[in-house]
Amino acid sequence: MTPPSRPPQTTPRLLLSAALGCCLLFQWNSSLAAGDAAKGKTLAETQCAACHGADGNSDVSLFPKLAGQQAIYVLRELQDYKAGRRQHDAMSPLAATLAEADMEHLAAYYAAQESKPTQVNDAKLLPIGKALYLEGNSKSGVPSCDGCHEEGGEGSKRFPRVAGQHADYTLDQIKQYATGKRSNGVKVMRTIAERLTDAEARALAEYMASLK
Amino acid sequence: MNAHLSLAATLLLCLNSLAMAQASPDLDPEITRLVALKADPFKGKVAYEICRGCHKADGSGKGDALYPQLAGQHASVTIKQLVDVRAGRRVSPKMHPFVDKDVVASNEIADIAAYLSLLPTPNTNGKGDGKQTGLGKHLYNRDCASCHGKRGEGDGSKFYPRVAGQHFAYLKRETLESRDKGRRNANTEMVKVLKHYVDADIEAVSDYMSRLRAD
Repeated sequence: MTPPSRPPQTTPRLLLSAALGCCLLFQWNSSLAAGDAAKGKTLAETQCAACHGADGNSDVSLFPKLAGQQAIYVLRELQDYKAGRRQHDAMSPLAATLAEADMEHLAAYYAAQESKPTQVNDAKLLPIGKALYLEGNSKSGVPSCDGCHEEGGEGSKRFPRVAGQHADYTLDQIKQYATGKRSNGVKVMRTIAERLTDAEARALAEYMASLK
Repeated sequence: MNAHLSLAATLLLCLNSLAMAQASPDLDPEITRLVALKADPFKGKVAYEICRGCHKADGSGKGDALYPQLAGQHASVTIKQLVDVRAGRRVSPKMHPFVDKDVVASNEIADIAAYLSLLPTPNTNGKGDGKQTGLGKHLYNRDCASCHGKRGEGDGSKFYPRVAGQHFAYLKRETLESRDKGRRNANTEMVKVLKHYVDADIEAVSDYMSRLRAD
């Protein structure tokens, strides 16, 4: 693969990339939330199921699906609701009653549930949404979504899962970011939401809903 | 593999120290501090995730979108550009929010730069039409090679970017901006040279640089 005329630095560089990949994988595996999913199940069924569904597959399109969501993200959002960094009429008072350990249990429970396929409202928008998701819009400075949320939309330990999320919820969040109503998390989403047109946001939300 | 990483980390530290030693006195102290920092490419890979939406996972950027290729760039150069964009010395409205201190912590700039410097430079970069590479070569060797290197390898110790394998469209835009609008953090000696360049010269030299291979 490496032409003989190249200096020897190329091979170590490739090895380094591989080494980085391996070590990060270990880091990721060891950093999963410490909650107890069984305790989380009890909490979820009594406190959260009415809106988010018993297994986190909410069937109301404005309430987010939590099944398969990244544990670290569920935990952070609950902490933010409790601390007032994120606000919602129903979620804020509810999160205020949760102890830190409860939040960890809930995060572990939802992360372990399987996300069920979500209805797409407008399949015509999927090709536009896919192109935006994978390529962004370089004219307006919208990065591709897969850079953070991964190609399949599964997210990572730093960024939430978007795959299979209700389009209405995603769209609502993008609007909240754009208007500054949702201000927790990094500035990145606010910038992106400001740069997206309404049509682009809708297409993206539909595409994310279609991801399994 | 760990031995390779340690070796690379040591090498980085040496190179960065060298860069600091030769840094000009008017350099932002934040740049000097970050260049001297013992950066962690492992942390850099994670911190870089926020950049991947434009600059791509392999650091190759996007040729048609004017997002530069970053893989294999000298750490000192990446540090300087990131700090300059954050401070507004280099004007980049698209990028500015993404280097905000709430998005990328100061020390993460050094980590990201260290990580990118270790990535192999892909050769899939955008190139020009190839019609004026003779002129491009002549101009490059006469005016550019003394700083950016015969093979476009740049010089990290002096903050001279590696230009080999960079996207043609990006090189052309940045060179034009340095000549006309005074890309504010551009090297003043370079701007003096560029004042004598017509557009066709810039196009030719950008095309030539995009075809150079430094490794």
